Amino acid sequence: MPQFEQVSVFGSLIFWSVLSFGILFFVLKKFAFPPILEALEMREKKIRTDIEDSERLKNEAQEIKRELEETLKAAHGKAETIVQLAHDESKKAQEKSLQETEAKVRQIQKDAEQEVLNSRNKLLQEVRSYAAALTIASTEKFLKKALGDEDKKKLVEESIEQVVQELEKRQRN
Amino acid sequence: MESPLHHFEVHTIIPIHIGGLDLSINNAVVAMWVGLAIVAGSFMLAVSRGVSPIPGKLQSILEISLEFIRSMVYEFIGEDEGKKYVPFIASLFLFILACNLIGLIPGSYTITSQLAVTGAFAVGIFILTLVIGFGKHGMHFLGILVPPGVPKIMIPLMVPIEIISMLARPISLAVRLFANMTAGHTVLAVLFGLAMTGPLWLGWLPFSFTIVINGLEIAIAFIQAYIFTTLTCVYIGDVIKLH
Repeated sequence: MPQFEQVSVFGSLIFWSVLSFGILFFVLKKFAFPPILEALEMREKKIRTDIEDSERLKNEAQEIKRELEETLKAAHGKAETIVQLAHDESKKAQEKSLQETEAKVRQIQKDAEQEVLNSRNKLLQEVRSYAAALTIASTEKFLKKALGDEDKKKLVEESIEQVVQELEKRQRN
Repeated sequence: MESPLHHFEVHTIIPIHIGGLDLSINNAVVAMWVGLAIVAGSFMLAVSRGVSPIPGKLQSILEISLEFIRSMVYEFIGEDEGKKYVPFIASLFLFILACNLIGLIPGSYTITSQLAVTGAFAVGIFILTLVIGFGKHGMHFLGILVPPGVPKIMIPLMVPIEIISMLARPISLAVRLFANMTAGHTVLAVLFGLAMTGPLWLGWLPFSFTIVINGLEIAIAFIQAYIFTTLTCVYIGDVIKLH
């Protein structure tokens, strides 16, 4: 086997390999490894920090979400109360307005009835006086002097009564 | 047919002799330099472009390899103690991986298939663990030879066993890497030799096997580099934690 037979090259192989390794070690340790190892550590640190930050932000977001949900729930409750109050208020106002309107209508009706009654009485009074005058005038023409003042009055009253009854009868019908 | 072990032969390219010591530059050293130049060049290219927080393709690959080694070091040595060993372990991993992979190129050389080289590294790591152990614990470090919970009467028996076990570590470390690299390349050489010497109607079979074995060799190159560095971490972790 050449590895055991060429003993003379052992010194050279050992010397150059150890020296080469030494130079490689020096060059890499001095110039190459520090920036790369530093970059690795920086990245590790950044990843760790980013993960921690994202965890913290996630927790904060969950807390904010929970608070918002609570606020929303409270706002919903408040809105429902306000709507209920408004509903009650409007119902009350509606009832009050209805009552006032009814009262007003009743008052108008009453006033109208009273006015009608007054007009009727006034009309009847006028009719009575016109009828009396008319009866007297017409009767005087027929009877002239045949009847005395008492008879005239009696006849007039009877005529008026008759006319009034007739009018009332008509009105009822 | 050429010997399947022929490509393990080292050929001198530039002879250098200093004080009777042969320090000639040979094909194994050149192949190793090419591998290391690719590794160092990749890292220096990525760094010279500026390390970006959003990595590009090259930076991603280098970051993944460093992250992989760093997590391995932290696992076996611990994060606080392991931090200062990351550059050493990463360099070791990249060195072995580069040497293993560059050897897969036909005509190249796998310096990790030389037991002298793997042995030198294994012994160096063994000495390093002793230095770390004595540096950290002083003479208490010798307590590593007595596993915890061992009855006192067993200590005279356990200490030699532990010493043998400790000494076996660099041997197994060196032999494992050397043997794996040698075996893989030998199998490839044998199969390729068969493909070249056999008739065409039969030669395609071992040739297609070389393709499969090449894929396997790439995986083995990674696995062996990983095992070598993992065991280095385990040994360093052991001497730091003392069991």
